[in-house]
This record gives sequence, structure tokens and C-alpha cells, in this order.
Amino acid sequence: MSAIGLTAAGETSAAIDRWFPVARGEEVVPRHIVQAQLLGREIALWRDDNGLVNAWENRCPHRGVRLSIGLNTGTELHCRYHGWRYASGSGQCTYIPAHPGQKPAATMRVGRFGAAEAHGFVWVNLSDSTEPPLLSTPAGAQMTTLRSIYARAPASTVADCLLRGYRFALDPTVAADSPTDAALVAGDPYTVRARVHAGQREASVTFLLQPVSASHTVIHGLLTMYDVTADRLAVLRHHNAQMSALRDTAERA
Amino acid sequence: MITLYDFELSADCYTVRLMMAALRVSFRRIELDVYPGREHESPWFLKINPSGQLPLLDDDGILRCGVQAILGHLTGRHDPGGRWYPRDDPEMPARVARWLEVAARLSATAGSARLHDTMFYAADIDACRGGAHALFRALDEHLWFAEQSGHDWLCSAGHPTIADIACFPHVMLSEEGGVSRLPYPAIRRWTDRVKRIPHFAPMSGIFNASPSRSALT
Repeated sequence: MSAIGLTAAGETSAAIDRWFPVARGEEVVPRHIVQAQLLGREIALWRDDNGLVNAWENRCPHRGVRLSIGLNTGTELHCRYHGWRYASGSGQCTYIPAHPGQKPAATMRVGRFGAAEAHGFVWVNLSDSTEPPLLSTPAGAQMTTLRSIYARAPASTVADCLLRGYRFALDPTVAADSPTDAALVAGDPYTVRARVHAGQREASVTFLLQPVSASHTVIHGLLTMYDVTADRLAVLRHHNAQMSALRDTAERA
Repeated sequence: MITLYDFELSADCYTVRLMMAALRVSFRRIELDVYPGREHESPWFLKINPSGQLPLLDDDGILRCGVQAILGHLTGRHDPGGRWYPRDDPEMPARVARWLEVAARLSATAGSARLHDTMFYAADIDACRGGAHALFRALDEHLWFAEQSGHDWLCSAGHPTIADIACFPHVMLSEEGGVSRLPYPAIRRWTDRVKRIPHFAPMSGIFNASPSRSALT
């Protein structure tokens, strides 16, 4: 296994046993393999035909080829190089085409990470922890996952840009002049919640930062709105534009 | 009889092979040793095509050179349903033209980076890769919102068009030029959909997808 691509070793050890969102759940589509990365570790993320999401080390145990260029057959993942097959759930090798009569050894197994679905996202934990991700969300609110934005900037820079005055409007029909109150959630350096109040209406966006590596970050957004007046697509485009501007700021910082 | 003057590893030649596969047009190939032999600059080929450019298509004596002209020719002559270059919807020609232009820019950036890395072509490699990432960023955003609107394809038609065929090869071969697609999940989903177009043709470095669930039921 190659070294984790991080320069800040302290950040790695602190962050390794925690859950990070790595994809919007609806984007982990059937018969597809998402190529994700968390804290320098590449992940082959795939959903089987029963709906179960697997987060595997993106590396075939046989010759090290990326599993994300392989095939998701709905029950197994087939490596592109020599056709070795690995079962959903266990990661156990089930078949080796070059030795069709032999049962693969129990040790032939893909490296697996913790995976869970919550709040519209797929979450991954690189350690063996089985604690599910928890996020306090207001009861009765309408939740929308926004388009995730990839930034070539460290998570700490993105968080700084958010805290230093990210201003967002509730939706395209409201001017962005009402103050935005952005704060770290419970001192967590990877979660920033921004609230806005505009008369009777209130909304918040929870930004969940996925540290891809020491230098790249995916910005996930979970929008909570009590009163949606604009149509969904317009709201998505609006926040996409604002988060893209945030990305541009972080990349210039 | 259609003859394609071809180079297996050329992304533009692959675009033409992919289009002919999807149209179920049969053709014969004349393979040129472009790298390292530079056979496209040989006297015999320059006599046929003075520009020396590949791909070159000979359709019963009609010669067409370059990927856009060949796509136009093939859809004009061999797509009786008019699905691949739709002109019935007044919005469609502009959309198709836009993505053909993007395909040409992909060729000049991602495509040039690949030629630089694999066949030692001269290029400003940082500018090529940076340009490719800028195009991929815009493409990923376009495809994400297309999906949110219920569209699978670049031009928001209910089916793929030559725009998808033209952009796909340079996107799919980008990692041979050092341009990762990891930051572009919507692009990666779209490439799986292109691979599931009936009669899809693979090439070196571009593989078939697993069957979709709906294809099995």
C-alpha cells in the first residue's frame, strides 16, 4: 500500500476515524463505480443491485490495478485486468478466470472501508469504526443536497473562506444583502453551517468538507429550507453558482 | 464501399469508428503507421490526401477529411432516421455546434497532452492539462444539470447525438495525458452511458461497460 498522500500527519490521525461524505447518494447509480478519494486514499464506491453501497480500496489485491475502471455487475465487481471477481459486502474474491476450477483463498479479499448512507449522502470512514454518521438537522425542514463542488484548495482554506464572510441568498428571488451567519458546527473543522434570516423565512446550508488530499477538497452542501418558493432547479443553480464562486476564492487564496 | 484511412491510437480516428459502429455502417480500414513511422506524411498517402490529415474517409469515391466533416458526411448519408444530427428541433443545430466546438477544444488540450505523453509530440503540457481541466469542469457542471433535468445526453435530446460521439474519445483517453477524471463524477457517469449505446465500439484504453440493469429485464 502506498503512503497516504498527506503532509500533515496530525491531520491524518485526527481525521481518520470519522465519517466524511464522499458522494451524493443518488449519484452512486446502479452498475457504475464512483472513483472517490478521501485523505489521500482512493476509493472505489459502488452500489449493488440490492442498493447496498460498498466503499473499497481502489486497488485490486492481485496486481494493484484500479478497481474503478472495472465492471459493476450488480452483485460483484470485476477487475478489468485479469477478471478477478469480488463479492458485494464481503469483498471476498469469488472467481479467478485463470483458475476456473479453484476456489479462491479466503485471504483474497478487497480492502474495505466503512460506508453508510444518511442525509442524502454516502459517508465513508477509513477506520474500522462502525459508528454511523450523525448530523443534527431541524425537524420538519425540507432538505436538499446541493451539487458538490471540487476545489483545488485545502479543507482549512475552504473553511476559512466560508467563515470570513460567505454570503448567500436564500434563493434566486432574494437579494444577498441580509447578513449570513457562518460558524463551525461544534468546533468541527470540516463542518460549517451558514444561516440566513430574511423576515419570516429562514434557511441554512451545512457545508460538509471532504478532504480529498492535503491540497484538494470536495465541498458538499445540505440545504435546509422551511419555505421553498423558487423551483428546485433554480435553487440548485443558484447555490451552484455561489459555491463555485467560493471555490474560485479558495483556489486563489 | 467505405474505406477509412485509420490509425488505431488516434482519438479522432476512433471517433469515426465509433460513429460508424453506432450507425451499423460496414467499412474497411487501411491502417497507417503514424507513430513512429509517420506514414501519413509518406508520398503514397499525400497523393490521396495532400493535407496528410487523418482520419480520411473514402465513401464510394467521395473523400472526406477530418472528424467534423466525416461526422457530417456519415449522418447526412447513413442515418436515415436523422437521429444523430437532429435538425427537426430548431434548438438542436446550435446545441450540436456548441459541443462540436468543445470537442475540438478537447482535442487541442486533453488530446494534445495525450500525444505529448504517449507519442512525444511537442506541446505546452501544463497549458494543455490546465485547459482540459477547465473544459472538464464546465462539462461536468453541464452534465450534472442535464441529469437533474432528466437528460442523459449533451444536447438534451432523448438520445445521443454526434456531440456525445465527438466529445467522448478525448474525455475517455485523458488519463493517458495526465488529466484525471476523479474530480468529475458527472462526466464519469455520462461516459458509462455512452459505453452503453447499442453497438458501442471499444479501443485500446476504452472498454465496454457492464450491461445496465434495464438491459437485463
